[in-house]
Amino acid sequence: MNIFFRELKANRKALIIWSVCMFLLILSGMGKYTAYSSGGGGSDVFEKMPYSLKALLGMGSFDVTTISGFFGMMFVYIELAVAIHAVLLGSGIIAKEERDKTTEFLMVKPVSRTKVITSKFFAAFVNVVIVNLISFISSLMMVNVYNKGEDITKNIAVFFVSMLIVQLVFLSLGAALASVMKKPKASGSAAAGILMGSFIVAKITDLTDKVNVINVFSPFKYFSYKDIVDGKGIDVTIVVLCIVLVAVFVSSTYLFYKNRDLKV
Amino acid sequence: MSVIEIKNLTKSYGKARGIKNINLSVEQGEIFGFIGPNGAGKSTTIRTLLGLIYPSEGNATIFGKSCIEHPEVRKELGYLPSEVFYYDNMRVIDLLKYSASFYKKDCTRRIKELAEVMDLDLKRKIEDLSFGNKKKVGIVQGLLHEPKLIILDEPTSGLDPLMQQKFFELIAEENRKGATVFFSSHILSEVQKMCSRVAFIKDGKIIKLEKMSTLQENSYKKISIETKGIIPKDVFDIKGVSKLESKGKSINFIFKGNINLIMAKMADIDLRNISIEEPDLEEIFMHYYVKEE
Repeated sequence: MNIFFRELKANRKALIIWSVCMFLLILSGMGKYTAYSSGGGGSDVFEKMPYSLKALLGMGSFDVTTISGFFGMMFVYIELAVAIHAVLLGSGIIAKEERDKTTEFLMVKPVSRTKVITSKFFAAFVNVVIVNLISFISSLMMVNVYNKGEDITKNIAVFFVSMLIVQLVFLSLGAALASVMKKPKASGSAAAGILMGSFIVAKITDLTDKVNVINVFSPFKYFSYKDIVDGKGIDVTIVVLCIVLVAVFVSSTYLFYKNRDLKV
Repeated sequence: MSVIEIKNLTKSYGKARGIKNINLSVEQGEIFGFIGPNGAGKSTTIRTLLGLIYPSEGNATIFGKSCIEHPEVRKELGYLPSEVFYYDNMRVIDLLKYSASFYKKDCTRRIKELAEVMDLDLKRKIEDLSFGNKKKVGIVQGLLHEPKLIILDEPTSGLDPLMQQKFFELIAEENRKGATVFFSSHILSEVQKMCSRVAFIKDGKIIKLEKMSTLQENSYKKISIETKGIIPKDVFDIKGVSKLESKGKSINFIFKGNINLIMAKMADIDLRNISIEEPDLEEIFMHYYVKEE
């Protein structure tokens, strides 16, 4: 438990900053909704836009003049932000001790490497959940300020359930990377690089349907947000596949970290 | 049972670094010196012993168990790394409490005692500490749970002479209470003071393992003299003199053996100047190499 609490404390400052930023992101994002929805004629403008432009702007096939369509567009950016948080956190929990050279302190204590990783994973999980909840609550609050139509609380809840799963994918990916890579300083950049890569993949498949198969590399596209906006919920098969993916990343984190030389 | 048992331990990283076929055993209650120049493999040996890195061949155990398979044996271990790094944003006392939380005993009193002896301010932030003060944190951190095995890797670097003295007293006290000490250093004289046995390591290999009493009988001195007149070279052609170099009126050599013998010799010479120093390790190593070949 001591490592768990130590880890929570170490991440506290970053967590507060991330939470405030998520709140501000959602606040400013939803603030623009009036511009999209006002005047009624806005819808025409969006309809006349070529699809590729809409895809690039992140609207895709959402009807951004409705609150749930607008939220669907904005959600991509919320998710990108929390994914960055998760992947850096994941790589950080493994790489941090080696980067700050505290390995020789921690790893000569009477604890196994497995126990250290487990404690750190739990602490990171708590962080990820908090960021998720803060974003969820901020979104609910802001949507309620602007929403004049039907209540979309349930849709938003589904969005954030899917986001938690994507967060866990990135968290475990970051940890696995840091564990496989021997250079602790490089693992954070590698993790961020992979994340940006997967975001670009998501953008490419937004633009064209022909290469949908590469979506497998982009957790941003694992869930169909169009379906969530339309109130169809999330696909349970995808949830299961994501959990399998997380399990693979988590177990490779343990496996590689246990069997490699620590950088001291 | 030996407290530390190292058998055929080999760790290779590429070609240059690493250790080769290290064999050592440290008995309960002894202070064991581990001497070698920088980069000889001292830290690598210790880190392999503690399970931070994996051996390429052979094995190393403390209290009869490998640290990799049985991490819990480290509860009786106190370790002071050669370079101390801690979580910067913590206060000293928080770090020490965190460290203590890994051992299932109350260490509060011991922390206070040690901090007092080492003159360490517990309220300060770690990032504000000087190198020497960080080292003190390391010492307190390594000893606060009263371990039965203390492993010290270059413990005195960064400490001023007064603190070094206090530190040696502390270690001697722990040893009296029954702790086994494994002391790695590149300074022979500091090891000489307290160790019962000493192993010399160079280029990843143990080149000599000797009882301190033997070493002390054969204390090495590096002697340089300047004479008033030219003296015949064969004056110093006696047992125990090695690496003799003479340039006109100045003569340098290393002497090993009864110091009275050489002093008697000196008394017969008309000297302008004399210096007697501890030879540095490199010179002693060279001496061993010559002897072994």
